[in-house]
Amino acid sequence: MAIVLLVLCAALAVRAEGFFTVENLLNVVRNVSMQGVIAFGMTMVIISGEIDLSVGSAVAFSGCLAAWVTGFLAGPAVGLPMPWAILAAVLASLGAGLAVGSFTGFLRVRFRVPTFITTLAWMTMLKGAAELITNGFPLMPFPAWYSFMGAGRLWGVPAPAIIFFATFVVIQVLMGYTSFGRAIYAVGGNAEAARLSGINVGRVKVLVMGLVAGLAAMSGLMLSSQIMQGTAGTAKGWELDVIAAVIIGGTSLMGGSGTVWGTLIGIVFMGVLANGMTLLNISEYWQHVVQGALILAAVLINVAPSRKR
Amino acid sequence: MDKQGNVVTAHGLQTVDLGKEYPGTVALDGVSVAFEGGQVHALIGKNGAGKSTLVKIFAGAVPPTRGRILVDGRDVVLRSPADAFAKGIATVYQELSLVPELTVAENILLGRLPRQAGLGGWIIDWPEVFARARAVLANLQVDLDVRRPAAELGVAEQQIVEIAKAMSFDPSVLMLDEPTSALAQAETSHLFALLRNLAARGVAILYITHRLQELRRIADTVTVLRDGRHVGTIAIADATPQRLVEMMFGEVVQKERPSDLEAGDRPVLEVRRLGRRGSFHDVSFTLRGGEILGIAGMLGSGRTELLRALFGADPYDTGEILIEGRPVRAASPERMKHLGVAFTPENRQAQALVQMLSTRANVCLASLDRIARRGFLTRARERTVVGRLVERLAILAPDIEQPVSSLSGGNQQKVVVAKWLNTDPRVILFDEPTRGIDVQAKQQIFQIMWDLGRQGISCLFVSSELEELLEVCHRILIMKKGTIVGEVRPEGVAVDELLARCMEV
Repeated sequence: MAIVLLVLCAALAVRAEGFFTVENLLNVVRNVSMQGVIAFGMTMVIISGEIDLSVGSAVAFSGCLAAWVTGFLAGPAVGLPMPWAILAAVLASLGAGLAVGSFTGFLRVRFRVPTFITTLAWMTMLKGAAELITNGFPLMPFPAWYSFMGAGRLWGVPAPAIIFFATFVVIQVLMGYTSFGRAIYAVGGNAEAARLSGINVGRVKVLVMGLVAGLAAMSGLMLSSQIMQGTAGTAKGWELDVIAAVIIGGTSLMGGSGTVWGTLIGIVFMGVLANGMTLLNISEYWQHVVQGALILAAVLINVAPSRKR
Repeated sequence: MDKQGNVVTAHGLQTVDLGKEYPGTVALDGVSVAFEGGQVHALIGKNGAGKSTLVKIFAGAVPPTRGRILVDGRDVVLRSPADAFAKGIATVYQELSLVPELTVAENILLGRLPRQAGLGGWIIDWPEVFARARAVLANLQVDLDVRRPAAELGVAEQQIVEIAKAMSFDPSVLMLDEPTSALAQAETSHLFALLRNLAARGVAILYITHRLQELRRIADTVTVLRDGRHVGTIAIADATPQRLVEMMFGEVVQKERPSDLEAGDRPVLEVRRLGRRGSFHDVSFTLRGGEILGIAGMLGSGRTELLRALFGADPYDTGEILIEGRPVRAASPERMKHLGVAFTPENRQAQALVQMLSTRANVCLASLDRIARRGFLTRARERTVVGRLVERLAILAPDIEQPVSSLSGGNQQKVVVAKWLNTDPRVILFDEPTRGIDVQAKQQIFQIMWDLGRQGISCLFVSSELEELLEVCHRILIMKKGTIVGEVRPEGVAVDELLARCMEV
């Protein structure tokens, strides 16, 4: 898959005006950052044998919650200084994300409710909650400096990209170099064998589901920082883009196999593709067709070698 | 045997110079053998001898790279499993392939359900389906309700349905792969009676097994494969255990029971009146340091359920478990592991190993927290640990990064043992550890158990093969219908006596 990506970049460098500039490439990275951080969490989820369909709604909800908390705490009723209000908002968002995800995991472990079902329910509930909080209007309580997370730069690199790479490093280390990461692969490969080897399967599932929801919340904060408002209509369909990136990166939906590196390539690939098609003036509708076809192609490429017996 | 390949067998199955090569290996190297109709032929050989390749070729699943196959004296080319059935070779596999929700009749006539005349032949003729199925079963002198869903039948009955299905093709050759591995003793006798019946009608029965002690009861001839070659075919009268092992391995490998086996005095595991509704009740015993305690019993006596409860894999309702004198609260696999208990499940592939992960990952599976330093570990550290265990247990794994599914049954079992040894256990619960493993690998597992005993680690050994228990254990508990009914010492009892006590009403 990495080779395909390089080929694509080379082709675009030649054919598309303005692709191979530092500015544009940083653009690509910034665009994929917000979905990217979720994708790393989703990689863990899918490897562990579960799925989370609610991440798009979680992003929107998280942004709206942060906006509402900020507005309430910094407003006339409470009158907290802005920095404290923002801090509380951030903690509330992340906390809500972790709680939602952990609850999904808990339902799976204790009552055997498939995560597909629970997160499907969350998908609509969180969207509805976002709409309730905002009453259908965008909330704009944020101070100017709040935009740093989503639109600022550090030494010339967009802040979201830094968060993106930092998340990549943390999750890559987690999956590749910790006992927890090994346990995730085992649980996804054969949960019963993992249980009979003394691994606490329940704990693994709850933590992983909590983590991805927490990352979605973080992404929601990044997004709200970029657009400087809390709106209920954002991140529509993000769950599918995120899952697509993970699959293009070589992770199997059956669980037990996949890498974080693969997801990195998958998400960058999708970003480069979208960017390239835009530069080449390909209509947005065609872009969707191409994206869908690509997911199928990626799965075939990844599955074909292991089928040859 | 006629080297020019002249037909020797007018009825039955014959091969002439049959070969199968894969890139890099020769699985079968010029096998010429004849299986006469009207007899039961046992096919034996250790893991990797070429037995399964030969079976796959006969079943039509894999084509040979050279050689001829003759059924009833005529050359045949087997293009697919369906083709093999059509040309007279019917196969019954170890993993039964019935469709659980369909009835016995539908399973027997799967894919060949008779249709009603007229209406374009679209509609199934149900009365005819049941009539034909009943006829097939009657032919085998078996009495089963053809309308029952296959899922409701016990393992032995399911196997009979599989055999009926195979026989309904009216084959010249019936091939059975490890048919008794899941059967209790009484059911085995029924099976053998059925097979002798079929043989008497002229069918050539090909019987693949690891259980050498069964051969006397059922086989007329024994064919041995080794390293892809046909070592020889002998009459059952000449097939002494020593002769067979010599043919299979080229040398006699069975070790004598060591004389320095002494169990300690200190009780390591105490079980008091343990019970689980529906599985077992009132189980009490003591396991001492360095002791190998066997549990003998028929299928369904509750041994696996007992072991699972002792490991915390399943809950129990009454009684208590004490480790080193302290009672266990809230047993779970994780808890029991920390208390020094290990468990090798009966179903190795589905429960003991994660097949898609590498050998290295599987060996580390139960001891991840031990290997890691403050939660972090590297492949290099894992490899060091795995390397030591692979050497200690003589595991044949050329590349530990390959999926563990690539290893033979015996080596997979050693991986399971290695996995638990790395948790520094006090007690290891073995549930049928030698199932599906060849004789040499079995001896190695026993050697490992004896070594563990010398190091003070206790073993609880559940097995359906009573000879094994007599060879390996210090003491043997007899379990029947969910509870312990007696205890014997190997020195004081013979196999048939032990069997009788396991079965007595």
